[in-house]
Amino acid sequence: MGLARTLAIRAVNLLLVLLLVLLLVVVIIGATGTSDRILMSIVRQEVSTYRQAISRTITNPEALEKAVETYRQELIKAYGLDKPWYTRIGDMLKRIILLDLGVSKSLQTFSGSNKVVDLIMERLPNTILLVTTATVLSFIIGLLVGVKLATAIGSKLDRALTYFSAISYALPTWWTGIIFILVFYFYLRIFPPGGMYSIPPPEDTLARLLDLFWHATLPIIVLVLATVGSNIYVTRTVVMNIAQEDFVLAAKAKGLPERIVRWRYIARVAAPPILTQLILGLAGSIGGAILTETVFGWPGMGLLFYQAIVSSDEALILGLVYVFTLVYVIARFVLEIFYVMLDPRVRI
Amino acid sequence: MISSKREMLRIFFSSSVSKLGVALLIILLAFSIYALVAFPPDYGKLVWNNPKAWENYPKSAPPSWVNFFTQSKLFEHKILETHEPVVFKSPDGTIKKLYYFDLDYDAGEFPKFFSMLMKDVRYWKSPPIITLKLMRPDGKTVELTSFIVSSPREGEKPPYSRYEKEPFILKIDSDVNVWRSVSSFLKESYGLSFSPSEIGKDPERFIFGSPIGSNFSSPLKGKYRFEVSVTTYDERDSVGDILLILGGSVYGLLGTDVIGRDIAIGVLLGFPTSLFIGIITSVIVTLIGCLLGIIGGYFGGKIDEVTQRVSDIVYNLPLLPLTIFLIFLMGSSIWNIVLLLIVFGWPGLTIVTRSIVLQLREAQYIEAAKSFGSSPWRIIFKHMLPQVMPFIVAQMIFYVPTFILLEAALSFLGLGDPSLPTWGQMLELGFRNGAIYLGLWWWIIPPGVMIVLTAFTFVLIALGMEPVVNPRLRTG
Repeated sequence: MGLARTLAIRAVNLLLVLLLVLLLVVVIIGATGTSDRILMSIVRQEVSTYRQAISRTITNPEALEKAVETYRQELIKAYGLDKPWYTRIGDMLKRIILLDLGVSKSLQTFSGSNKVVDLIMERLPNTILLVTTATVLSFIIGLLVGVKLATAIGSKLDRALTYFSAISYALPTWWTGIIFILVFYFYLRIFPPGGMYSIPPPEDTLARLLDLFWHATLPIIVLVLATVGSNIYVTRTVVMNIAQEDFVLAAKAKGLPERIVRWRYIARVAAPPILTQLILGLAGSIGGAILTETVFGWPGMGLLFYQAIVSSDEALILGLVYVFTLVYVIARFVLEIFYVMLDPRVRI
Repeated sequence: MISSKREMLRIFFSSSVSKLGVALLIILLAFSIYALVAFPPDYGKLVWNNPKAWENYPKSAPPSWVNFFTQSKLFEHKILETHEPVVFKSPDGTIKKLYYFDLDYDAGEFPKFFSMLMKDVRYWKSPPIITLKLMRPDGKTVELTSFIVSSPREGEKPPYSRYEKEPFILKIDSDVNVWRSVSSFLKESYGLSFSPSEIGKDPERFIFGSPIGSNFSSPLKGKYRFEVSVTTYDERDSVGDILLILGGSVYGLLGTDVIGRDIAIGVLLGFPTSLFIGIITSVIVTLIGCLLGIIGGYFGGKIDEVTQRVSDIVYNLPLLPLTIFLIFLMGSSIWNIVLLLIVFGWPGLTIVTRSIVLQLREAQYIEAAKSFGSSPWRIIFKHMLPQVMPFIVAQMIFYVPTFILLEAALSFLGLGDPSLPTWGQMLELGFRNGAIYLGLWWWIIPPGVMIVLTAFTFVLIALGMEPVVNPRLRTG
């Protein structure tokens, strides 16, 4: 099976990227002493739990201190904190992969846990919801408008689009977001300034869904605006280049209807390079999510990232870099599956 | 293929997109040069990020041109500065210096506050006497205050220096002596009796207003003249700068932020930083990327294998999360930011350049050159580079906005270089202080517009380059 083999090779390549990022991160945090600090804070956390547990049985304060100190030393040995950082690379890799990074300094989940893994897992679905919706919307709009414009190169609409895509490329997502809040919240009061649900959220499921939709509108528009310009532009250029090929001319000469030529002859060939554009834009979308969530207070991983930077929460930042890379790698893989299905030539 | 450079330039300048782009670029460069010439390099650290330097400015004041859109004219913040004094010398050795400050008042509201600042008083014998008078448009004169600079301390030797480090500040809003003088002025001129503490609630209302009955509701418009007189007793005595500050509710071209900083200055200072980061990063990235691409593509073999693998991996990294992480660990200096943008930026160009070189390598004229015995570098520089050049230049220009936007994004996330004022940092401060929710648009819009405009300029030039690179896009 050519398809399975090709996909397997792609998957291995992407896993390699993920592992390399992790290794790089581990070496950097090891060399800068950040991993020591993260592990020490885990140790401190466990020691204080231990102290509370045994303080009920040991009442003599001196004996208590001694027991706690012994436990502390044991933990330091167990975590390998008595040895240099490079001996812990394997252990640290495992920790990051399992998100076993202790607790956040200042942030909590809605249910009150301050574990890094809980915090990230709580926010992850919100980010995926936002980015996926925006990416799919932007792709569809890009395709429809781009194909239409390819047949009208040099027209007024085409020239307007050239300017629009230039502006869209030059627009920082986060600033667009800020302006949207200023206009649609501060002046017009038709959209909320941020967040995911009203406070308190509506009880009824349908009302809750509508509330979510109402809150998601502005961030999604902002994310779409940031990417749609280049999507349209690339589709238009790719389609235009293909439309000048001989086989298209031949199809037209045969008298095939415009619609069939456009979608069967041109779009079929244009699809892989357009998809490539989407794949290349993926990293940008993830970056855009960090900024857009920050601006709109959307409780996803991006906002969490910002909060972690502001409160210098090393463990949380580390976990987020990993999960962002993971999400990116998985999303890439999904798109690669489409790509291999669309373009049989890349199969091995 | 395009025959000559002149031909390329003709095609480039034939589109309106390119013309607009180049015009904008010239404007951006002009602003940058002006900012570099007009402000010292440590201005960011010493003045811009130093809240003390902005004490005399109004906080969160909108730009003065909002007056065109308001019914009642708002008072524009005024800082009146010293001119040459008029000097009177008496035969007994007394020297009287009169400093005049003129103010044309036409606002519909009273000043928010009024204070006088004085620096560097130096005297040899007796301490100078200082008085502040106000001549109003209605011909009346208010003597606001009169005081003597503090006498020599025991053991102190002349010249006696006063207000050297900390300027002397007279605040009308908290000075009982001024309230008393105003109270007696009102009694003499209008026969109205207001106690000093009543005046202290809003002294500007009485100083800059004329009563209707006993009601001070609107300011007296017209030409005011302040007179500061300094009486000294020695030729060598001197007074430094004297400033009169009238607190307004609008300021300057672009208003002020929450610290009182002039946003117009911040916007101006953002030009060189933004352009520098964008251009320097893009040039270095292009050099590295192309060199690796050409070497890999032309020579093949192990070098090619390695550069291809590395560029593939780096190209596939999620850029922003990693950059944030590394800047967070390394510290946010401008050099770290440039370094990281370079480290993550080069692979795209390597991949593309390599594929072009691979195609060119097979061309017949290259083969011909090889058969003449040309060295590889001669072939690369003489035969390949001219072919790849327009493309490389287009890519280089296209990378500039990418890096400008990335730097702005990092700044907005609080990871900008704290010693340099950048547009991203201005927006970050505005965002964190809730400028959007308070509607302080003058703090949010100008820096953002500048980011967009700068990035847009380079996108336009890159778009204009496209017909040069891709002949299919030429329209005529």
